[in-house]
Amino acid sequence: MDLVTMITTMGSGFGKTCAIFFLTLLFSLPLGMVIAFLRMSKSKIVSNVTRFVISVLRGTPLMLQLIAVTYGPFYLFDLPVSRNKLIPVVIAFAINYAAYFAEIYRSGIESMPVGQYEAADILGYKKIQTFFHIILPQVIKRIMPSITNEVVTLVKDTSMAFTVSYQELFTIGKQIANSETSFMPFVVAGVFYFVFNAIVDYAMGKVEKSMNYYK
Amino acid sequence: MKKIVALLLAVMMVFALCACGGGDNKDDSQKTLVVGIDPEYPPYSYIGSDGEYTGFDIEVAQAACDLLGWKMEVFPVNWDNKLAQLDGKECDCIWSGMTILDSMKEAGYVISDPYYDNTQVLLVKKDSPIQSSADLKGKTVAVQLGTSGESLLNGDLADLKATFGELVTCNSFVSAFTELGGGSVDAVFVDYPVAAAYAAKNEGFRIVNENLGAEQYGIAFRADDQELCDQIEAAVQQLVDNGTYQKIAEKYPDIVSNLIYLNK
Amino acid sequence: MKVLEINHIQKSFNDATLHVLKDISLSVDKGEVVSIIGPSGSGKSTLLRCATLLTEMDSGELIYLGKVAAKNNAEGKAVYSGKTELKKIRSIFGLVFQNFNLFPHFSVLKNLTDPQVHVLGRTKQEAEERAMTLLKKMGLEDKAAAYPCELSGGQQQRVAIARALAMDPTILFFDEPTSALDPELTGEVLKVIKQLHDEKMTMVIVTHEMAFARAVSDRVIFMDGGVIVEQGEPEEVFGNPKTERTKQFLRNYQS
Repeated sequence: MDLVTMITTMGSGFGKTCAIFFLTLLFSLPLGMVIAFLRMSKSKIVSNVTRFVISVLRGTPLMLQLIAVTYGPFYLFDLPVSRNKLIPVVIAFAINYAAYFAEIYRSGIESMPVGQYEAADILGYKKIQTFFHIILPQVIKRIMPSITNEVVTLVKDTSMAFTVSYQELFTIGKQIANSETSFMPFVVAGVFYFVFNAIVDYAMGKVEKSMNYYK
Repeated sequence: MKKIVALLLAVMMVFALCACGGGDNKDDSQKTLVVGIDPEYPPYSYIGSDGEYTGFDIEVAQAACDLLGWKMEVFPVNWDNKLAQLDGKECDCIWSGMTILDSMKEAGYVISDPYYDNTQVLLVKKDSPIQSSADLKGKTVAVQLGTSGESLLNGDLADLKATFGELVTCNSFVSAFTELGGGSVDAVFVDYPVAAAYAAKNEGFRIVNENLGAEQYGIAFRADDQELCDQIEAAVQQLVDNGTYQKIAEKYPDIVSNLIYLNK
Repeated sequence: MKVLEINHIQKSFNDATLHVLKDISLSVDKGEVVSIIGPSGSGKSTLLRCATLLTEMDSGELIYLGKVAAKNNAEGKAVYSGKTELKKIRSIFGLVFQNFNLFPHFSVLKNLTDPQVHVLGRTKQEAEERAMTLLKKMGLEDKAAAYPCELSGGQQQRVAIARALAMDPTILFFDEPTSALDPELTGEVLKVIKQLHDEKMTMVIVTHEMAFARAVSDRVIFMDGGVIVEQGEPEEVFGNPKTERTKQFLRNYQS
């Protein structure tokens, strides 16, 4: 196989890698906020159940969760396995990453000085206004480095989708490598991931910089 | 900041649409056979130099479907999960150099008549002192995870395995062969055709002249698909009778001598 | 009408083991400036936090302009009024914090306009006009576009005062407004408060600045151990303290 064919074949897998990446972020970033609120709930039951769920999601391999989401419904309820693998893959990734984001949000929210809440309270802001106007923008700035870390990890984690034979970049790279008994596809895959991450790094750096106008 | 967010959202939407758009637009008027393959198993099924899936099994399956007037769709499975994927109706059969195991029959899967006699061999470096399996005492041997070679070493050939210094389980052929080339293992326990293809393409390797454990390849179907199995077997028999099978087989010199249909 | 009436406030922390406020009563008239002095741990900050609804008291009454924020039930426990009533009451007072608590992600101007727009429902233009008038008064009109982190402590505290005034409170509380400032910066903040005093702003000031309290107050309250030990006109309390405890406190401060 010549290099051009190899790159175009793997390019089709790269599109799917990007799909996992963007859809996971699209769903996990807001979902993480919901989980963070459940985790900080005043109800002991809600907060403890959420804490347990988070520890399961963070404490078991993503690979296992991918298999569970993809094949679990079939083994438990005899539902057909989705032919479009993107759906279970994104569900598994979104839930897993939401658990990590939830803990990042929580640490960010809890690190906010109580004075900010009190000042907003005295001025007469409603609770929801206080959160979205005063607290959240500052929390985002505080947690941005941790979020960047997770996003960079996500780029590399997309390769786990091979577990359920979703034809993303790494899966195809591995197939070509074994079909051609060559290491070249792994090199090409590495370049793809590196370039992708370089772009992600640059974009996240821009976002972080855009919030540097205050301390 | 707002611009960046808007841009990101736009990109996400595009990917979401693309990813969802590629769904199942199947034409119902024609039956489609979804063939589950291991995309990493040359020469039975692999990615060809044009980037498309090809291989002996895929060509035969395509010819059989042409004969039956069906469409064929190739579905690359994750070999470790192949039976779950068959059960889950992601594909209609597993047809990809699959070793017939008693455990599959016991689990109720419908298995076709065997079509290939496989042998396991040892691939070593040309200058290796290893001349037979007896020389493996204390040596480091590699095998691929989830292959019949691995199950043999844990079953019928457990006594042989006990003499190894160490058994390294690799997750792909490439890594097993690379370990061998790099000198970190002394021999790779592998299917004959795979070893032959690699030794032909790469300098400095040879196959130890000893057949270790015989097994047969077949096609697996779900428990309630006996009829489908019969249809496929009949079609393959027709291909054998009209010479198409022979023609396809000649393209794959490494395996042609062990094809059961041609040795009857 | 009294602007603020506080009757028999009790407050304990740590499951009643720490009794911080022991039956405090206090009222403030319109235009009056009341300073609260006393050693650390005397309960003066807690009193301020109870009065501004940041801390819930255990029992007692809290009334602003005749509107009841909290009163005792039959068991003698303080019960607070409903959300809408408390929202109205919150608009009566403002509070200037020791640590300013400006919103760091907003510019100075936005710190002043955002609450006006989102809480009082003023238009952006109205809010900006009001904000600029106040900034001018504070001598900070050239800092409107700056962010709080670019200002000195004294400037930040003046912005915080302007932010509180922008909401047009009837009474303004100060919680040790100069304690977090370098000594050379306290003057500019005290000058602003003095100016408000001249404009007859009703104020309650918790402070360690004795000379300042003496200069601007209509009434000085000396608190210690959770009770009001002595109160009266500044000349009386500072010049001729009646209790031994007050004398000792003032002596320590002067030396």
